[in-house]
Parts: sequence; structure tokens; C-alpha cells
Amino acid sequence: MGPGLAGYILRRLLWAIPVLFIISVLVFVMLRMAPGDPAETILGNRFDEEQADVLRRKYGYDQPLTVQYANYMWNLAHLDLGVSVKYRDFTVTEVILPKLWVSSRLGILALLISFGLGIPVGVYAALARGTFLDPLTISSWLLLDAIPPYVLIPLVQWALVLKLKLFGLGWDGFLSANMILPVLVMGLPGVAGVARLMRASVIGVLNEDYIRTARAKGLREQTIIVSHITRNALLPMVTVIGLSLPGVAAGALFVETLFGIPGIGQLSLEAVQLPDFDVVLALILFGSASFVLANVVIDVAYAFIDPRVRVGGARG
Amino acid sequence: MLLMGFVAFLILVVGVVGVVAIAGGGGDDEGDTASPSRTTTPKSGSVAKICEGKTLVVPGGEPNTQLDPIQVGDVETSEYIVEIFGGLMTLDPELKVIPDLAREMPTVSADGKVYTFRLRDNIVFSQNSRRVTAADFKYSIERAADPKEASPTAKAYLGDIVGIAEKLSGKAKEVSGVRVVDDKTIEITLIEPADFFLAELTYPVAYVVDREQIEKDPRNWTRRPNGTGPFKLVEFTIGEQIRLVRNDRYHLGVPKLEEVRFELGGGSISTRYQNDELHVGFVPGTELDAVKAGRSPLAKDYRATNEMAVSYITMNPTKEPFDDPKVRQAFAMSIDRESINNVLIYGAYRIADGFTPPEMPGYTESVKSLKYDPVRAKQLLQESKYAGRLPRITLNYGGSGGNSPETLVAMQKGWEETLGVTVQLEAVDPVAYMREQRKGSFQMLSDGWAADYPDLEDFTGKLFRSDSSLNYTQYKNSEVDALLQQARRETDRNRRYTLYAQAEQKILDDAPIIPIFWPVSHTLVKPCVQGYPNVSMTVPKYRYVDIVKP
Amino acid sequence: MAIAESTAVLTSPEMTRRPRWPALRALARKKLALVALAYLLLFYAVGLAAPLVAPYDPNDQNIRAGETRQGPSSEHWLGTDSLGRDLLSRVIYSARTTVLFTIVVVVTGGFFLGLGLGLLAGYRGGWVDTAIMRVGEILGGLPTLILILAITAAFRTRITDLAYWFEDHTWVSFSEAKTFLKFTIIAGATVPFAWVGSARIVRSQALAIRELAYVTAAEAMGASTWRVIGRHILPGVMPLFIVGLSGSMAGMAGAEVSLSYLGLGIDPPAASFGSLISEAGFIRTFQQYPHLLLGAATPVVLFFYAWNLLGDALVDVLEPRLNLR
Repeated sequence: MGPGLAGYILRRLLWAIPVLFIISVLVFVMLRMAPGDPAETILGNRFDEEQADVLRRKYGYDQPLTVQYANYMWNLAHLDLGVSVKYRDFTVTEVILPKLWVSSRLGILALLISFGLGIPVGVYAALARGTFLDPLTISSWLLLDAIPPYVLIPLVQWALVLKLKLFGLGWDGFLSANMILPVLVMGLPGVAGVARLMRASVIGVLNEDYIRTARAKGLREQTIIVSHITRNALLPMVTVIGLSLPGVAAGALFVETLFGIPGIGQLSLEAVQLPDFDVVLALILFGSASFVLANVVIDVAYAFIDPRVRVGGARG
Repeated sequence: MLLMGFVAFLILVVGVVGVVAIAGGGGDDEGDTASPSRTTTPKSGSVAKICEGKTLVVPGGEPNTQLDPIQVGDVETSEYIVEIFGGLMTLDPELKVIPDLAREMPTVSADGKVYTFRLRDNIVFSQNSRRVTAADFKYSIERAADPKEASPTAKAYLGDIVGIAEKLSGKAKEVSGVRVVDDKTIEITLIEPADFFLAELTYPVAYVVDREQIEKDPRNWTRRPNGTGPFKLVEFTIGEQIRLVRNDRYHLGVPKLEEVRFELGGGSISTRYQNDELHVGFVPGTELDAVKAGRSPLAKDYRATNEMAVSYITMNPTKEPFDDPKVRQAFAMSIDRESINNVLIYGAYRIADGFTPPEMPGYTESVKSLKYDPVRAKQLLQESKYAGRLPRITLNYGGSGGNSPETLVAMQKGWEETLGVTVQLEAVDPVAYMREQRKGSFQMLSDGWAADYPDLEDFTGKLFRSDSSLNYTQYKNSEVDALLQQARRETDRNRRYTLYAQAEQKILDDAPIIPIFWPVSHTLVKPCVQGYPNVSMTVPKYRYVDIVKP
Repeated sequence: MAIAESTAVLTSPEMTRRPRWPALRALARKKLALVALAYLLLFYAVGLAAPLVAPYDPNDQNIRAGETRQGPSSEHWLGTDSLGRDLLSRVIYSARTTVLFTIVVVVTGGFFLGLGLGLLAGYRGGWVDTAIMRVGEILGGLPTLILILAITAAFRTRITDLAYWFEDHTWVSFSEAKTFLKFTIIAGATVPFAWVGSARIVRSQALAIRELAYVTAAEAMGASTWRVIGRHILPGVMPLFIVGLSGSMAGMAGAEVSLSYLGLGIDPPAASFGSLISEAGFIRTFQQYPHLLLGAATPVVLFFYAWNLLGDALVDVLEPRLNLR
């Protein structure tokens, strides 16, 4: 990695600042301009103008939009994300953090399954190329991928929980047997995508000269597969993992709702529907920030793999 | 060899799926209660296990606000508030108003305006055992009416007390109608006599709170609120659980349970109940036939609990075409509630023959809503000024307590077949729904109402008096207004009930609303849970419950 | 779809200028892909011709004991639902909803926006590249779900009015017009924000191609920007783009099904797979009336599956390196 790469990373990171700023302004304005305010949410069908004014003053909604934005940013800089309208005792941080912790563990376990199975399945399919086993493997995993969670989950729950009584259903802390099913339901459908990419990657590597050389040298087939083919084919997968990470924190709406897991996905829907303004704002900003940062990471990874990217001079 | 491993894995996956499909599809498991594989789930045990100990596990609703009595307006949160806090009066499971912190029923002055309450000697706050005095009540009521607190319910449920309005508008520092006579005596003066006042006092907004705690920690005191209820809060984890442990110094008898754990997460409750993860379960109407079916192991634990609530359709009398009562009546007579209830939702509810449900004290059976009569409905539409030229109609739904979309689709068909008009259904987000309701900018709404305290004033009275803030129907009828106003002031209970009944019949004939169902909640209770009351409203109930090992 | 997007990393541009017919012939050799294609054609045909194909009116209720929640029979092939409506007819009309949505999405042109901007960014590089990609990041970072909720809420009454106008002045029925309008708004709200994914793939491919010898040669000979893009870069990017398109069709259709499942899509009684599934997808309902869930879910799962298989086959056929030997 030369000075070019370091410069590229720096440039890329600096660009993230204005991008995040514009996103925060857009999101803030969008949410504040939308009809409704905390007073309406809190008072509900007992709404009363006088009380609404009290609440608007309390939550700072009586001030001009620019002041509101400045206040929000100032508080954000002090790690204060505001107050939840639904859980008025709790700060937004207190509402979001435990759920983020649950969702990200769930998401990472699911990713581990997707990649842990997807990579070997992909290698297997690539090596089995030309036989019926290749399309059979990939297409059977693709079928699992095609079933939406809200179809898969009732079926699985009916069979494994109600009929076979293999698992419990309720939320019992993250480290409980009840979490096995949600993790599987989240992770297994992802195997197909990883396997497809891994398969393509392995097939690409198979044609490389060094594999032929290795074969010609008479290395054991197993050694070739593990230390030459798989290792080289794994390199591009790093980017894929990077791309998947921001999704982890976003939570899985359907899995969380249908299994009763207190995660970010469930919270997002609830907060949007209520609406719980500061929670929504925080979730969006967090999501956008991780999206932007993931993009930076991927670009850097591209640059690392393919030096042409960072040349980037104007042409034509 | 590596390849063989993958093949083996694939076979394994296919095999597991196959086994599940076969085993699941095969035998009808229902009833085998002691499956050995249960041990994999720590919390769920065998039947014997769930009957051990004194911790009751029930599904709970996520509270919609903080656990502060003056901020509560919804049923989910009230569930917890009534167990943690208490007031002068409370309700027993038969919905009789009984003394809670008051020693006995208050004495009432001859003009019916001044109530004098004597407090019990042994009343203390649950968290710190501080004695509750008359001054605590005065503080609590004045706090509820403090404009800074913006309580959504103070005006509606304390507004009968002299001085509340002045305090709410910021004109007065004190509530003049609440007077501390001595440490154990408190006197409340009303603007005008109100026979329903004691029932009103059972609503959370009138509960007593601990001044010391609130002033010490104004922001976070509700995380460990100090109340006088049978239980005290020890844990509230958002989306996970609420744990209440018993108040060992509870003045109406220490609860038999040590702890009640409300599980806030989702998942199929009837399944979790069947798996012995819960002591009590609630079944939605859509699952009713599966639960009640003879071979279902849940059938024997099932009980129906009538709710003091009603679901209805509102027709805005200020908007076309519902400004013509004949059109409203025609719409009301075109809904076949019987078939909808019996066939669509397995008879889950009761047909609302009137507006007020039979559980309401003072319910008058002779008050009847309009019956399904398509012939008469057609006739009425012909006689109306909109005969042959009905405008387009949209029905908005999405608030709480309304009718399910399927029910609405069934009604839509009824109107189409009988009156030849397609009412468009439109899902609206809750906030927009309430805004339209408030501003009266809707044509039709699907709505519902559940009583906050067991009195007709909180049903017919608050919902249809044109000056009431809860009149969401936009209905205004001077005759009805006069009757309801008179009923409000009447101190003779029976005469009061008659007046409400007269008003209600007039409303139903005039049809600004179509009562659809009186809801029923479908409850499952484990046999070893004893004393779980069948109660149609939110009342403190867990102090009656016990878990008894068979 | 995050995973699928990154196919770009794996493909190399070297062998991009190949004739297309062998590709089609290669596709024809894949039996599974052909079956998938046949199913998709059937699905689209049935969806478009729903009024002709459906045995009953999908909204024809029959709320009488014994008529609702029937199992499959010769009269009702998939049985009836809780309101006694013929499930097969409702499934067919749901297919129409799905078809309508995918058409709307393609028509609104989000994909082509992604293609165009990606090409431009990749080929021109420099500030054009930076501007396009940063704007994409801003838009891509905004929350789609909230946007959809906000926009449909804001346009709710206008949608209704416009749908009535359609009913009065055209042969389109109110509910169809309303469905179409709502979809247009949903697609219109998401598309400007959704192009960044495909643009990113196209860009990276274009970046790589423009360095190739023949492209540099063409430039040196004075070919114009658009000529270079059209003649050299576009054909190289196309296979990847088609793969991406087929891959995201399932995702796009899935978005509508999910929204309707959550009750945020089209209003009842119009049929959508999402609302059919949400009515039938409770464990107890499934236990008692499995046909309600299976009948509604199978066609749409196969629809997603078919797009997946087709996309997979296309990857294999169009993926340049694979054709090396």
C-alpha cells in the first residue's frame, strides 16, 4: 500500500462529513415538516390545544426549525439523542442501545451461518461444476432464499414449536435455546447468496495459472482446494462481508416481530407508526451513518484490490 | 474427503426438513403434555413445574407512556398502574366501588356537593413505608391539574372538583375544592352534585403519589414509582418484561403471589401458553376455533370475559350524505352483524343490541339499536334526500379499538348489496386518524370505546354530549344534550339511569353511530392458577390470584 | 440484496465483447432456468389476464356457515377464505397486483437511472464520479420505509380523488386506479433513492473496462464520449446489469408483498399476496386451515424462486470469465 492508497482513504473519509451533514439536515427537515408532533402523539384522542402548547414548548417544537436543528446537533455532540415520546422515562439512547445490542448479536450470528455455510457450499458447487450436483445444491438453497420470513416463520414455528415442542417461543434473554430458531431462520436463507458468489469466485480462481501449476506439481487435491483455491477465492468475499454489516444493525423486522425479540427492527416499525420522533430520527441517522461508512470501507477495499480505482483522474 | 462432507451436510438438511414435515404432519400431538424434549427450554417446564412457586407469568402489553398515574389514558398502561398505585376508592372484580385508602365510604353533604373521606390508619407507600396522609392526596390532585404536567385526563376525570379548571388554566396555585381537614381527613367539594364522582375517583388520574420521591427525582421517579398498590415495580425492560413484586404492607390484605411477571415480547401467545411458558394467555378472535375445538388441550382452560366496551361505525352528521338521518338509519340497517359475528369470527363477540354493554351498572335492556333490515334500509334511502344520488363515501380506519379490516370488508359488502353504494375503505395512520376525528373532517370512521370507570356518564354521557371533549362523533342534538345534562346532575341513581337510557335510545334511533359488537376477551388460565377474576374492566386483580400446586 | 450487488467484484471485464446469441443458447441449455422462465411467463400472463382467468369475482363474499374457510374442492380449487371468497380468484388477482407493481417499477425507470449514472460516473471519473456517487450516498442513506409512509400519507386524499377521476373518465376501475397510483407513488418515492446500488455495480465495471487497450485505442482515434460508452462500455456492462435487474425483480416484488403484509400497501378488499398471507399466517390459523397459507404463499414463493433461478442462470451464462474455456 503506497501513499496513494492512504491519500485515497483520507479523501474518502473527508467526503463522508458533508454527506452525513446533508443527510442529517434532510432527515431532520423531513421529519419535522411531516404532519404531527409529539404533543399529538402523547395526547392522542384527548388532545387539547392548551396542553399541546405546553408539550410543544417542553420538546422545543415551538422554536424555529433552524434553532431546533442546531439544538439537536448540539445535544447530539453531547451524545444526547433526545427523549422518547412513547417511553417518556427513557432517553433515546436508553431505548435504542439494548435493542441494538440484541439485534447486532442476532445479525452477526445469522451472518456467521450465512457465510459459514455459504462458503463451503459455494466451493462444493464450484468443484462439482458440470455435474447435476452443482445446480441442485445452489437451487435448493435458492428456494429457501425465496421464502419470505413471514411465510417461513409460521411454518417453522408450527412444526418445531407447536408440534415437535423442540423449542420455546418467548423472549428469554439472548443466550437461551429459544434463540436457536430465530438465528437459523435469519441465517439459512442467506446461504444461497453467499454460495453463489463463492461459487463464481472459485470458478474464476480455478482457471488461474497457479492452480494449474499446483496441479502439475502433483500437490494433493485437498491441499490445492483448501490452501490455493479457497484462500484465493475468499479475498473478494471480504467486500461482501463489509457490505452486509450495516444491515446487521438495522435489525430484522419480521424475525423480531414474529419471535418477540426486542430488537431494532421491531422498534423501527413501532417508532415510525407512532411516530416517536426522536427515536425515528436517531435510527435513521444511525442507519445512514453506517451506510455511508460501509461505502467508504467498500471503496477502500476496492482500491486495495484494484489499484486502478484510486487513480481516478478525469478523462474524456 | 471434503466433498463428501458437503454432500453429507446437504443430506442432513434435507433429512431434517423431511422428518419435521413427516412428524409434524403425522400424529395429532395435541394433548401430549409431557414431551421429554421440553427440557431444552429453561423457562418452560412440565405442568407440575409451572405450578411451582408463586411467580405468575402473564403476557403484557407494552405501556404506552411512563408509569405515572396522571399520564395514563390507555388500557395497556392502566393494567400496571392499578397494581402499583391506589387512590381513595377502587373497584372490586364485580366493579363495585369500594374504599381503598379511605377507611369507609365517604360522608356526603345534603346538597351532594361535599365529600368527606376518612383515611385508614395503616396505609404506607410501598417502596419506603412512609405513611400516607391527607396532604399527599391534596398534592397528588394538584399535581394532576398542574398545567406544566399536561395530563391528558385531568380535565375529563377531575374536572368536577371545584378549582380544577382554574388550576389547569394556570389562574390558581391551589385546587380550592380539595381541603385537608386533618392528617386523616380530606374534604372534596364538587361544582355540582355528581352521583358518578366516586366511580370517577377509581381512575388513575386521582391516585396518590409520593411527593418526596417526585421532588427528589422529577425526571426518573417513575422507574421505581412509590405507590400504595398491592404490588411494586422492580423491573421494567422495554420490550422484554415488567416485574411486579408484592407489597408486604398492603392494607387490603397481602397478595398471595410473590411476583407477577408481564412478558412484553410477541410470538404466538396461545402456543407459548400451550408450551407452559405462561400461566395466562389471551387468544385473538381469529384463533378462537382452534382453541375451542374439542380436541384442543386448551379448550378446558378457556374462558370468555365480557369487556365493558363497544365497537362501532361513526357517520359524521355534518358531512354529506350523513346529514340526513334517513341515510344514517339505512346504513345502520344494512349490516348483518349476526352473520359477521357467527361466521367470520367464530362468534367471538356479542352483537351490540344497544350502545352501552350489559356489564355497565344501570344497563337498560330495552334500549335497542337498529336491527338488520335490508328492505327497510332500501326504503329509507329512497325516502332520503340522497335517493339515487349518494355521494362518494370513504370509511377511515386505523385507530385503536375499531373493527378488524375483514369485518369492515364484510360490512362494505352489506352496504353495496343493500344500498348499491361502494364505501371505500382506507387505512389511516393513528395520528392522522385522531386528527380527522378531532377536526370532524371524516365521513365514516371505524371506532371503539372502552369505559374508564364503570358509570354511564363515561359512556353515553361523555361521548354524545355536544360540549364534551370526548364527543368524537360530531353529534349534536339539543334534546339529547338536555337529557344528558339532567342525568349528570341527578343524584337519584335510578332516575339517572332512566335518563341515560332515554338519551341513548334517542341517539340510536337517530343513528349517528352504528354499534357493531360488544367485545369479549378470550382468556386461557392454567388450572393451578386460582382466583383469577373474570372482570370486564381494568381493576387491580392480581391480589386475588394464587398458584396452587395440584 | 446487499450481497447480490457485489457481483461486480468478482467479474472481470476482459471478455466483454462477445456476441449475445451464444449466451441465449447457453441459457436454453439450462433446464431449470427454462422452467423458471415458463413459470414467470405464466405468472405474468395470468396476472395480466386476471379478469378472464379467475373463476369467480375475487370480492364475492359468502358469509354463511359452511361456505367460509372451505378446503380445496372441485368448485373452489384452493378453497375459500374467512369471508367465503374464492381463494384461487384472490390469488390470481394478487398476481395481478404483483405484476402491476413490477411493471410500474420498471416503467419509472430506476434501473435505467442507475445504469446511466453508473456509466457516466465510471467512464468520466473525476468530479463527475465523485458528485454522482456522493449524491447517491446521501439519497441511499435515507430511509425508504419512512419515506413511503410519509408520502402515501401526504397524498392519501389526492390519490382517492384521482382514482375517482379515473373511474369516471376511463375504463379503469376505482380500485385498480388506486392500486396503480399508490404503486406509482411508492415506486416514485423509492426509485430516486434506489439507483445507487445498481449505479455502483455499473460504475466499477465501467471503470475497469475503460482501461482496456481497445477502449484507450478508440479514444486515441478521437471517438466521442458517447460513442465510446455506447459502443464499448455499455455492451461490457450490460450482462452484469441484466443479472442485477433479474436479481432485484424478486426483491422489488417482495417489497410490495411485505408492505401489504404490514397493512401499509394497498387497501382492502383489493387482493395482494401480502394481505392474503397476513390473514392466514397465524400458527393457529395454519394449524386449522393450512390451505389458506399454503395456497396464498406457494405461487408467490415460486415467483420469487423463478426470478432467483433465472438470475442465477444468467450469471452463469453472461459472466464473462466462465466463457473463457
